[in-house]
Amino acid sequence: MYRGCINECGPSWQHAHRASWLLTTTSTPALVFATMNRPGGAGISGLTRLQNATQSYNALSNEISKEQVKNLHVQLAQFRTALQSFAQTHRDKIRKDASFRHAFTIMCANIGVDPLAGGAPGDGILGRGWWGELLGLSDWNLELGVQIVDICVSTRHQNGGLIDMADLLRLLGKLRGTNSSSTTVNEEDVVRAIKTLKPLGAGYEVFPVGGRKMVRNVPRELDADQAVVLSLARETGGRLVESLLSEQSGWTRERAHVALENMALRDGLCWIDDQDEIDGKAYWVVSVLQWNE
Amino acid sequence: MDLQPHTTPSGFKLPSIHSLPPFFSKQENLETLAISLDHWTRLILSYARFKRIFYLRVEDAEVTGGDWDEVLRNTRINRRVRPEYLSFILSQLVAKNLAVYDPIKQDRSVLLYWRTPDEWAEVLHSWATSTGQLNTILTFYEIIEPAVESQLSGIPVAILRKAIAVLAKTARAQSIGVADGEGVRFFATHAR
Repeated sequence: MYRGCINECGPSWQHAHRASWLLTTTSTPALVFATMNRPGGAGISGLTRLQNATQSYNALSNEISKEQVKNLHVQLAQFRTALQSFAQTHRDKIRKDASFRHAFTIMCANIGVDPLAGGAPGDGILGRGWWGELLGLSDWNLELGVQIVDICVSTRHQNGGLIDMADLLRLLGKLRGTNSSSTTVNEEDVVRAIKTLKPLGAGYEVFPVGGRKMVRNVPRELDADQAVVLSLARETGGRLVESLLSEQSGWTRERAHVALENMALRDGLCWIDDQDEIDGKAYWVVSVLQWNE
Repeated sequence: MDLQPHTTPSGFKLPSIHSLPPFFSKQENLETLAISLDHWTRLILSYARFKRIFYLRVEDAEVTGGDWDEVLRNTRINRRVRPEYLSFILSQLVAKNLAVYDPIKQDRSVLLYWRTPDEWAEVLHSWATSTGQLNTILTFYEIIEPAVESQLSGIPVAILRKAIAVLAKTARAQSIGVADGEGVRFFATHAR
């Protein structure tokens, strides 16, 4: 049975050693005396014991530290989850309600979390792109996005909410100051920034028209016919009439009429001129006009 | 098409939209119409201020040779504002408190507020103060046709009355009937 126990309980030399120590302390007076003279244990066995104790303390300390770190991780994870679930629960509100979004960023600032802060992916509790992933916004894109919105809104009365990419880039350059190369933006930047605007639901979209790109900044879908109209308007300098459109596109007069009327009446992309000398009624696609002030 | 601003012979700078043919037609899309009206409102008021014109009438779109030809017509693109559209523009100016029908009970003639009655009141009071005419009785004629030309020269009586009414509310003026018509007495502004 004893043998069984030895076999069961780990390294046998430890047990053998302890057994011999017990044996000596009880049965040999000289050794008992020596032990009593050096309290705390002396000699090989005492040193070993001290070493064991130190090791145990170290192990315990490590374990406590680990436990604390683990707890901290758990707490951080909980905090992150809480913040995330808060952001997710109120995502729509954060996206839509400017004052709520403001309050949310203030709250983040108060607890020392910058939702826009950079860093490697997964770095800290809120790594790069956390805000980006969650809300579709990130710092630089956000700034560029704001500038795009600024230009689109301020030119909407001229172009009906449809702006040429080249025009937009030109105006962006003007707004940002083109003197340094670090401030210039290209088409790709604009496309990316517009993507980040998507969650705002403003309907900003880049789409091709006759080999060129245009940015739509009104929440309206453009159909294929409208793309043809826009493309043709570029060639004519803005003025379109039913007869010309049906001739150029091969559409029936009826289809050309509907396309133009829709663009004018429903979408506000055309202005109607009812004093046209030749056709009586002409449609002017305002987004292809060049405005000089 | 390239749209350029245009400076008229009288020196007024017309905005580039004035060269856009459809600007002279009433737009059917409400948003587009609002944009167009906004441009017309600004254009009309700034031109009136520039030329010191107080009245705009539907008639101005019907016959040539009036004060408004440079604005209501663009001979370079052969477009003009039709009387029906002008009539609608006038109604919008009145609705936005930027003009009043004058005389009342008709809708073909408006008095333009390129300065509001409140603003005219300040102009009037500071004119009376700077010309040393406080506490004396002035006839309307003396204000409208002063010996030395002022900002108030030629101001319509209708606006003058409104401006005096504004000053009367703060006890800075008092309407007085005089032998040959209407008069007014101005008082210094008292710190209250």
